[in-house]
Amino acid sequence: MSKMKKALMLSTAAIMVFGLAACGSSNNSSNNASKSNSSNTSNASDSSSNASGETVELSFWTLGNTNYEDLANQYMKDHSNVVIKIQNTGDQTAHHNNLTTALSAGSGAPDIFQLEIGFMERFLAAQDSFYNLNDLGATEVKANFLDWKWAQASSVDGSFQIGLPTDIAPTVAYYRTDLLEQAGLPTDPVEFSTLIDTWDKFASVAKQFTDKTGIPFVDSRDLIYNAVRDQADGQIYFDKQSGEFIGNTNPQVKKAYDFTIKGIQEGWVANYALWAADWTQATNDGGFAVLSGPAWMLGNIKSNGPDSKGLWRIAQLPEGSGNWGGSFLSIPKQSKHAEEAYAFIEWMTSQEQQLQTFTVSGLMPSTPALFEAPEFKDFTDEFLGGQASAAEFASAAERVAPIYYGPLHDQTDSYIKEAIQNVQEKDADPQAEWDAAIQKIENLIKRS
Amino acid sequence: MATTAQTSVTTTVPKRRLSERQRDNFFAYLFISPFFIIFGIFGLYPILFTIYLSFFKWDALNPMKYIGLQNYQFVLEDSIFWTSFSNTLLISVMGTIPQLLLALVIAIFLNSAFTKFKQAFRVMFFMPNITSIVAVALVFSAIYSNNGMGNWLLDTFGLDAVAWNSGWWGVKIAIATMIMWRWTGYNMVIYLSGLQSIPTDLYEAARIDGAGRFQQMIHITLPLLKPFIIFTVMMSTIGSLQLFTEPYVFLGQSGTSSLRSEGITMVNYLYSEAFSNSFFGTAAATAVILLVFTIIFSMINMWASNKLGGDTE
Repeated sequence: MSKMKKALMLSTAAIMVFGLAACGSSNNSSNNASKSNSSNTSNASDSSSNASGETVELSFWTLGNTNYEDLANQYMKDHSNVVIKIQNTGDQTAHHNNLTTALSAGSGAPDIFQLEIGFMERFLAAQDSFYNLNDLGATEVKANFLDWKWAQASSVDGSFQIGLPTDIAPTVAYYRTDLLEQAGLPTDPVEFSTLIDTWDKFASVAKQFTDKTGIPFVDSRDLIYNAVRDQADGQIYFDKQSGEFIGNTNPQVKKAYDFTIKGIQEGWVANYALWAADWTQATNDGGFAVLSGPAWMLGNIKSNGPDSKGLWRIAQLPEGSGNWGGSFLSIPKQSKHAEEAYAFIEWMTSQEQQLQTFTVSGLMPSTPALFEAPEFKDFTDEFLGGQASAAEFASAAERVAPIYYGPLHDQTDSYIKEAIQNVQEKDADPQAEWDAAIQKIENLIKRS
Repeated sequence: MATTAQTSVTTTVPKRRLSERQRDNFFAYLFISPFFIIFGIFGLYPILFTIYLSFFKWDALNPMKYIGLQNYQFVLEDSIFWTSFSNTLLISVMGTIPQLLLALVIAIFLNSAFTKFKQAFRVMFFMPNITSIVAVALVFSAIYSNNGMGNWLLDTFGLDAVAWNSGWWGVKIAIATMIMWRWTGYNMVIYLSGLQSIPTDLYEAARIDGAGRFQQMIHITLPLLKPFIIFTVMMSTIGSLQLFTEPYVFLGQSGTSSLRSEGITMVNYLYSEAFSNSFFGTAAATAVILLVFTIIFSMINMWASNKLGGDTE
């Protein structure tokens, strides 16, 4: 009896142990198997230059709402030896943290990664982990793209290219015609753009508007600050060459700060926190007349302000434009099929495919030649009263200057914004807040 | 130690027959091994690696660089870190003390014989605890925004608006009420189970002796509830040292990626060091410091509860 019990125990224990071991190792072995398989196939395809029936599997991590799945299917139809596996993530931060983990672990990265501009600096600093697309033929397609967009994904000297450009997000001024009418201001986009073609004029129109209507002119301190900041000459908080902090001496940063403070003090900057519920509500109810934001902001305005349909128009921002958002396609070094992956992303970012992405998903293309295409140029939006919106975004895109951000851009920026918030909400002294922010930024930089 | 040596003998020299005792030991260790293996991989290794990492400068992508104790120096000299420390304490006091008192009152109310629909109330009070915390923070940020419900209410009473997103107290009150709303029901359930464990004959005896409701409360309910109160205080203290999501989501709303110094907690500080700034070394150093603080607070708690509740040992 006890012997049987022992035997039973022994066998269950053995099963458990082997079960665990199997769980642990089966993943590894299958990974190894697929890896060795794939390296075999890549060797084979290298030697036979893709002509053979060997299939190449490309994993592709995409971000947010795109039509990339459709495009991949089209590509697979024409290239029977390529299988593209797409894994989509909605959460930007998780998407990029997953890649960071895979890169530092040494395995698990995809063949193709959609890299958002907000996370660019982190990965651009780790050039060893990515293929230099210039080595794979990217120099030949460089001329097809907007210069500033291309430069966002290049090393400072331009020798290293981490990604091919997909969509862009140039900034414009969205404005409400009904509120401008109340203040007796012109509502036609061309006339209004001319009326505010410098920041000084913008400020005086803003003051005039608010004095007359009692409604704030712009929506929030953050967006108006961004609009002026992003027109900096090549660099904002950090020096392009040395990477040193220059935010305290860069005239454009100070200009943006002073301009926003002036707006707050004159009462034409609304006291809404960006993305807050009351900001959303004010978009619908006419709590402000102008909102400066990138192309994708139109989607937010549409969903926040269903009742304001047809009242909004797009004007050009004073003195230039900026960019906020947009992606690139990169190939991590872990990929065993860099050439096949490159062929695919070059196809993906070509004019025809970008036009499809624009018509299906509304993402702005990064190839300026498309701006002349009739499907693009004649695109109108009923929410904007039938204005040819794509053409407006295109002319904004041509006014964007290339800018170097630096790895600590976001954190630095948030300290400045905190200072502006203190001035607006707590009536703090602008100069003291500026000094305190610079102090915090210098502490931050010390540890990098 | 001796037994592990024995098991290793059994694996290396399989031919030797095991004694009954050795085999029992072997199986005992075999059966408890899954926990230790999993703990080793997902618990112990990360902890040890964090301590190791705190002596290095690392951005998770490029090679690690040894810098000695510099990370600790950066963190301990950083005024924002000390702000986050005092914030954590203040918010936890503001969120915990009124919360536990309220939980006790609700529990007594629900335990009394007069209350109808006890089950429904119990479920309703516990509901906030299982609500998605991000949704909670979003709803509260609608209340506590510049032009939101909170300020509207103050305005109707003729009071001045409060800067909920940037005021020194405003931010803390907003976060503390969020914590209170979420955890009152949880602690209420614990107190309720404590109240129900008190035998009714004690109350009957007291009533016969002529004790009033208040006297019963002071001399019977509270002393017998002491172990439950100590438990909730300890859990709340440890929980509030790890406060993260409420301030993160609430202040993350205001458009900037960093957390304002009015509401930043120690774990928020750690998180933004690692995942906004990519300073994994200083983040690891912060984690080690946080561990030390947690140990100190737990010891104070244990000492206090030993003093107070000698009978619960």
